[in-house]
Amino acid sequence: MNSMTGQANTVNLQGNKACALGAVAAGCRFFAGYPITPSSEIAENLAKELPAVGGVFLQMEDEIASMAATLGASMGGIKAMTATSGPGFSLKQENLGYGMGAEIPCVVVNVMRGGPSTGLPTRPAQGDIMQTRWGTHGDHPVIVLAPGSVEEIYQQTARAFALSEKLRTPVIVLFDESLGHLVETVALPDVADYEKTVRKWATGKPEDYKPYHGDADGVPPMARPGDGFRVHTSGLTVAENGFPTQKPHEVDALMKRLLGKVALNNDLIESFEAVECKDAEVVIVALGVVGRAARKAVKELREAGIKAGLFRPVTLWPFPTESFRKQTAKARHIIVAEMNAGQLIHEIAEVKTGKQKVTGLNRYDGVPISPVDIKKTVKEVLGHE
Amino acid sequence: MKTREMRFSGAGGQGLQLCAKIFSKAMTGAGYHVSMSQSYEPTSRGGLSRADIVASGETPDYPLATELDTLLILDQAAATASEGIIRDDAMVIVDPRRTKNPPEGNFKVIELPLSETAIRVGSERVTNVVATGVIAELSEDIEVKTIENVLRAISPKKFLDMNMDALQAGVALARGVKAA
Repeated sequence: MNSMTGQANTVNLQGNKACALGAVAAGCRFFAGYPITPSSEIAENLAKELPAVGGVFLQMEDEIASMAATLGASMGGIKAMTATSGPGFSLKQENLGYGMGAEIPCVVVNVMRGGPSTGLPTRPAQGDIMQTRWGTHGDHPVIVLAPGSVEEIYQQTARAFALSEKLRTPVIVLFDESLGHLVETVALPDVADYEKTVRKWATGKPEDYKPYHGDADGVPPMARPGDGFRVHTSGLTVAENGFPTQKPHEVDALMKRLLGKVALNNDLIESFEAVECKDAEVVIVALGVVGRAARKAVKELREAGIKAGLFRPVTLWPFPTESFRKQTAKARHIIVAEMNAGQLIHEIAEVKTGKQKVTGLNRYDGVPISPVDIKKTVKEVLGHE
Repeated sequence: MKTREMRFSGAGGQGLQLCAKIFSKAMTGAGYHVSMSQSYEPTSRGGLSRADIVASGETPDYPLATELDTLLILDQAAATASEGIIRDDAMVIVDPRRTKNPPEGNFKVIELPLSETAIRVGSERVTNVVATGVIAELSEDIEVKTIENVLRAISPKKFLDMNMDALQAGVALARGVKAA
């Protein structure tokens, strides 16, 4: 029984604090960051939590250094994280790409606020959906998790560490101000399996070790500092031995493995919520807090006899394409509800296989899309046939 | 368990987030699942500030307020901020000293001298606690005693007596409303 809530195993928790606690539960022992609304409580909580478990908290001079320090800590062998919001996420892009190229596990949290630029620091938005996919330059592997509740923030932050360690790549956790600052009564899920997931360390004879030779899962074992393996890390494109190369066949092989390791492990990465999609005439695609609005709208529309469904990607990138196609197979309409001027809608239009008409429901005024907004759009779409 | 949607609104610095925190602690203690959200402006004081509670027997599908049954307005800055989401049977509690033009609608607007009462108790800063007493007394499913226990637990020592006085003054104001 919890003394604060009077209920078994439940606690009143803020989204950003849940993110910090989920990280620690997953084994995160390093955080470097720079305070920025609406993500600051993640840093604030980790400043208390990490030293208590023997971890390290660093407030850096800026966002660029925060990303660099996070990568450095991870190369030193521990689970590491940084957290930020829009403007800070923009600044992190170059080093984030370094992490993807040099295959350095870490978790980067982006609590979205209104943009562009300084924008609306205390208001929610989902304007970084495409930035998380394409923000850093060049072709690169991307995994983005988009939780939709305080409980899911805890769980998906922990899962981000497990995926990151297993696949040796940065994983982005993406939610918005309204969820970051939301306090909900939650029962914290067990994340022990995520905590146990650690990266593959190099074994065998040091002289045979090739730092960028992938195993069958596309992931190369990493050399643990002090274990005696020779390592050279660079932002340049490298051959299997870790040294820079421009030989086309080596570059091609590296890129194929780098991009392929995410595709190869999609079963592990994919996650989504589908509500009443089976016979749905209209499927609403929404993530994060908008997914919550859509879930309420779907229930109320069903009560009114309208066959509506919800597809909520929890793994945003890579987009759960095949599952989305299955869930929307019978639909005549797809409504993409997002707090931006239209980003996810491009992916939906590209991956849908049927003749569904795709309609966007967009708000970028700092106000979350409500169940009322969604019900209105569903009725408009059906009425206009 | 009835779903409750409550909003505490006014200007930044009036202790509205604290109001919501007190109610959410008390309500989770009574078995509610609470979603508490907030909105404020990027200034340290002033501007619209609000804190919302959506509470029900299980985690609500949508955690943000859409149909308020209780609305507190402590400042003109918040007078129009809740347009369109106030239920017809809602109680809207207004401090007229700082809210010259309260919202109009089918709902019941209850004007009470919240800040004047706070000043009489000791400081305008406890206006939020007076309001907390009013809402607790007017809410059938919330015990004043539970609110008092939460307030006692979170009050700094030097404000404890004033907070307790402010809470009881709020309860007295609400009893006046009930009697009328």
